[in-house]
Amino acid sequence: MNDEYAIRTVNLTKTFRSKAQGANSGFFSRTKVTIKAVDNLNIEIKKGELFGLLGPNGAGKTTLVKMLCTLLPPDSGTAFINGYDIVKQPMQVKRSLGTLFSVGERGFFWRLNGYRNLEFFASIYNVPRQKRQGRIKEVLRLVGLENSAFDLYQKYSGGMKRRLALARTLLPDPPVILLDEPTTGLDVISSRNIREFVRKTVVESGRTVLYTTHYIEEAAKICDRIGILKQGQIVALDTPDALRAKIKKEEVIYLAVEGIMQSQIEQLRNLQGVISITENGAEDLAPNQYGFCLKLNNIDDLPSVFDFLFDQKIKLVNFKREEPTLEDAFIELTKRT
Amino acid sequence: MFAELEKIFYFTKRDIISFSTYKTNIAILVFTAVFGALSFAYLGSNASMQSVLQLYGENFTTYILIGLAFSSYLTQSLTLVQKTINPWALEEVLVSPTSLTTFIIGSSIWGFIWSTATVVVYLAIGVFIFGVSLSINILGTVIVVALGISAFIGFSMIGSGILILTKQGDPVTALITIATSLFGNVLFPPQVLPPVLQTIAFVLPQYYFFKCIRLMLTGWTIPMILPDLLILTLMSAIILPLGYGVYAWCLKTARKNGTLSWF
Repeated sequence: MNDEYAIRTVNLTKTFRSKAQGANSGFFSRTKVTIKAVDNLNIEIKKGELFGLLGPNGAGKTTLVKMLCTLLPPDSGTAFINGYDIVKQPMQVKRSLGTLFSVGERGFFWRLNGYRNLEFFASIYNVPRQKRQGRIKEVLRLVGLENSAFDLYQKYSGGMKRRLALARTLLPDPPVILLDEPTTGLDVISSRNIREFVRKTVVESGRTVLYTTHYIEEAAKICDRIGILKQGQIVALDTPDALRAKIKKEEVIYLAVEGIMQSQIEQLRNLQGVISITENGAEDLAPNQYGFCLKLNNIDDLPSVFDFLFDQKIKLVNFKREEPTLEDAFIELTKRT
Repeated sequence: MFAELEKIFYFTKRDIISFSTYKTNIAILVFTAVFGALSFAYLGSNASMQSVLQLYGENFTTYILIGLAFSSYLTQSLTLVQKTINPWALEEVLVSPTSLTTFIIGSSIWGFIWSTATVVVYLAIGVFIFGVSLSINILGTVIVVALGISAFIGFSMIGSGILILTKQGDPVTALITIATSLFGNVLFPPQVLPPVLQTIAFVLPQYYFFKCIRLMLTGWTIPMILPDLLILTLMSAIILPLGYGVYAWCLKTARKNGTLSWF
């Protein structure tokens, strides 16, 4: 099956209907609720790409992952993994996939050691018997658990359990990997280790990764492209830098100058393109220095500010331009209706 | 003091609300409590002992011993599929290229090995300590056990399928458990029951399983038990595929609704 995309969804849709308990509902009464978890979704992820799927809780990330790994049948539309249809060819899809769910320890046997756990999963993931031992040792080494391989699973820390889950995901050497919030609940160091592992080891080996998270900077650090999911729909999709740039906001400049008078501040305020000037006192300013925050309509209005300072012989001490963060982009894009 | 009492009230309220959401489970608990104890009323009664002697030519010890020993096979079969539907484990398997059938069979082998070991221990104690006399038809025993397990796995799949949807409380397993103890020919022959209740026993595979297994352990041959064996075979041939169908449908429904990992 030739397909330039490792993951491709076509009008993928999933709706859940459930009964909710109201505050005043009795034991036998429930309110019916309908939630469109994934709404007519179309995403194309190229082979070898590390694609981040970012979204607030309830955006539909896990539902999407569960549909892609064939656990959840879509209501309509479909998706292709490595060229295989998730609806019509589920077994081929499963052979092409490694999936890590957000609860990393699920499915493991607590009274078996790490090696024996992987041995079991190697068999159900069809890792050939003659290659099994070597493959288990390899993935244990990749995730840094080679020295704890024979410790009981129940003695593993949270980070070790998640790394073992990652090892299980890699065990059948799948071309496509779905990582559903792999760092949720982990400490900073464990999270960083997982991210570095995904970036360096998984992606550099040519695999395609769909990485869902609600940690914005995590996605920005490692992903080639990011899709922002809101109420089951992609509201933005681009590289992390491009997403930041998409945020249409005023230019905010922090300036520190020396020897400016109040009248000159008023003149500055009246310059074309200047929206506002507010005092921005910094601790490291000298007594004759003045710090302020300048809001401009556009970055193109900045030269006229500098020209004014030059003409008025006002010494510029410090200058800083506020960069929009991916967090700004995320909040902006997810609050738009 | 009042604040602490109020906390206790809210603990209890939480539990009652949670409990009330499992309506099937409530019905089963009530049903089990009422009917479960009835079976013991017949255990060890004079009518039971005489009936055993008349029907099987066995003493009551042999009758009870075989009933208890082999009921572990049925218990194992009945709880088998439920043990494997731990939501997390089920999801992990469903995303792997392994069929559900392989998963269920693979997850059950150890249980049956353990049950076999239990049967051996039971029978050994019976023979060497209580002086029970056995004459085992090995082929017949294997056939009867296989048929009994098949029927009970069918029941187990029906119950487990319902459990996947209801999350707690599986009426089928509860009913089969009660029926086994009351009508199953485990602890007393159903012939001692009133005629109406005896009819229930004769439409259950448990009755034929325990009847056939007792005869296979006490010197009878397969041709001699053929009518009962055929009934058991027919029942297994209906219940097993029916169970698989119900289980598959319930699993599909839970997957469609996205409730597979709920519990």
